Amino acid sequence: MSDRDRQRRRALIAFQIFIYGYLLIMFCIQLSMWATRNW
Amino acid sequence: MNTATGDQNKSSTQDDSAAADLPLGTTKQWARMHKWLRRGIIVCLVGLVLEGSFTLPFLAIWYGYPTLSFHDICSELMKVRYNNESLECQHPYPFPGPPLGGAPEGAGVNTAKDQWGIQPVPQYPRLGFRELVRIHDQRIARQKAAEHNTRVPHP
Amino acid sequence: MNLPLRRSGNGKTATLPTAAPVPRDGPIPVEDQIEQSRLAQRRADKWLIAGTILMGACAPGIFGLPMFLYGLTLLRRASKAGLSVRPVMVTLIGYLVILDAGLNLQGWILDMIGNHTLIYRVLYTAIGNVMDGGYFWHYNQLWIGGAGAPGEKSWEWACILVVFPMRIAASIAFLQMKRWGHQWLIVTCWFGVVIWVGYVMNMTEYADIRFGGIVFPVLGWWVFDIMYITPFLAIPYLHTVNREIFSD
Repeated sequence: MSDRDRQRRRALIAFQIFIYGYLLIMFCIQLSMWATRNW
Repeated sequence: MNTATGDQNKSSTQDDSAAADLPLGTTKQWARMHKWLRRGIIVCLVGLVLEGSFTLPFLAIWYGYPTLSFHDICSELMKVRYNNESLECQHPYPFPGPPLGGAPEGAGVNTAKDQWGIQPVPQYPRLGFRELVRIHDQRIARQKAAEHNTRVPHP
Repeated sequence: MNLPLRRSGNGKTATLPTAAPVPRDGPIPVEDQIEQSRLAQRRADKWLIAGTILMGACAPGIFGLPMFLYGLTLLRRASKAGLSVRPVMVTLIGYLVILDAGLNLQGWILDMIGNHTLIYRVLYTAIGNVMDGGYFWHYNQLWIGGAGAPGEKSWEWACILVVFPMRIAASIAFLQMKRWGHQWLIVTCWFGVVIWVGYVMNMTEYADIRFGGIVFPVLGWWVFDIMYITPFLAIPYLHTVNREIFSD
């Protein structure tokens, strides 16, 4: 795999971790709110 | 010379053909990722279609259709939303209506139960399966009983 | 659509449209190959478009899905037969982005201008009560009508006016294998990342409004709306597909 492709793969992995990680964190925050608040 | 390069081409295409038959635009190093992306996309597609098709029927049944008509459901939800039994859904709503002009249906209604502040907290009750039907029937019964009481004076 | 002609079977880097293909089973005249490919592509596209239109109309979507999948099957068959048709992945992403944007546009345009029709008052307040209090809490009390949750209308406007129309236009060009379609689909899918980050943060900030008193708090919204993450699936493909297959 060329250098550029390797860089691209790393960047895409970083992107996936960021965006799905962000969604997961928000989901967990909302779940914890649900557990503690009177909804 | 031609045969040499021809042989080279043949062996490289054979190697490539031996590997998975790659779609146009996909090279070997990205083939696995593209495969999983394709599966994810198909899952999203099927999900969107099922949601689109079944949302309205599901909601209609949950909120009391066909026992309650759409107009009844609209009015009941409005009563719950604004905590006000006198509100009714006006149908048809006077043209043109928001956002083009005219007052919205909730204009001036201040009976909603909320804890106001920078983080408002609504206080309406959670509605269970077909609970709107029960609420609707109970209110009608209550109103009829109240009417009956006012008409027939107590001895 | 100027699809590059394929070499026999390996589907690697595309050749230029003017290069003669290496024939699969004996010599096939280039013009015939192009014509057969065009016809196969058009045949598949008829089913794909019809399916997508039905799926975009929500209720008949359940009939649209088999039509769409049949169109995909036709495309796959044509591709295996050695014809130069659009790659399945390009087709999937292109149509799904159109569907995703179309459904969102429909929903939000109606929340903007149809919020006092009976059907949408019922539908949106019901959806609101089931999964997203933003569409129930003080619905139709803003001067503009529609969803009353803080920030919701702003997101609606930004998406209706900018993001979704651009995404649909880019997607159509992408399906036509145009270079600008590929480029602009990348741009508009990155918009989608911005929208998701901002929108979910807004919901979390006003979580009491969005999930208080709701039938299925938190889980309802996530299970329903996770299906709209098309841009996140499209971005890795768009960045790794061989750009040569898109022509000017």
